[in-house]
Amino acid sequence: MGAPRRFAAALLTAVLRIAPPASREWASAMLRELDFIPGEWAALFWALGSASAIVRHAACNWRQWVTQLNSKREERMNSTGKKTIGVVSGAVSAIMLVACAFGLLRLTSILFPRLGIVNAGWTHILTMIVIPEAIFIAAAVALWRKRRPIAAGILLIAVAIGVHIAVWAAIH
Amino acid sequence: MKPRLSPQTLEVIDALLAAPREWQYGYDISRNTGLKSGTLYPILMRMADRKLLETRWEASEPGKPPRHMYRFTPEGLRFARANSPAQPAGSRRVALSLENG
Repeated sequence: MGAPRRFAAALLTAVLRIAPPASREWASAMLRELDFIPGEWAALFWALGSASAIVRHAACNWRQWVTQLNSKREERMNSTGKKTIGVVSGAVSAIMLVACAFGLLRLTSILFPRLGIVNAGWTHILTMIVIPEAIFIAAAVALWRKRRPIAAGILLIAVAIGVHIAVWAAIH
Repeated sequence: MKPRLSPQTLEVIDALLAAPREWQYGYDISRNTGLKSGTLYPILMRMADRKLLETRWEASEPGKPPRHMYRFTPEGLRFARANSPAQPAGSRRVALSLENG
């Protein structure tokens, strides 16, 4: 056995040893064929071509694996992103409702100053706390099954307002 | 729509179609098509991955290591017949062998 064939065999043996499992059968097939190739240089060129084919096959498999991994990660991120958007939109809707209630109260006090709404504490409690909290709970119950993140966002604001009132009541 | 196949892939398909029921060795396909191993094996690997080609090991001679062999799967054979430029199968190879005497 001449030097080129020895080198060819050594190269393919090394490739077989380091090849990933998916490419190993093919690397082995190429190594076995080497025994049937007449000519030292033909064997060497066969081994060089085979080694490059195995490297490309392994690289292709590796790229597929990385792509699959990335798509799974992206899917997970998409799911988390959707949930976050749901919670944020629920919270924003709840805040907007409270802001609207506050705006209506202020507008009523400006349009009808004689009613004395500004000085009446119960109107604040009713429009800013009781009615919005009732709406929040009703909306959260209605949305819990189909739009759970939005319901969670609404409940978050309801709890925040509740805590705010509790702290205010404790201080005063 | 027919898939776009490279001339080298068509060469391999043509070589395997010459004897569709028989197992063929990698080196024999390389010799028949004139393709180097670096071109031939990626084609065989892709075809095997797509279940167009079946592979098996065969101990060709006692004392010699087993060789890897290839032939079309039934699906591969249908695909090859639908996409081979040489119809009927093997006619081009027969013509070549006749030309070469």
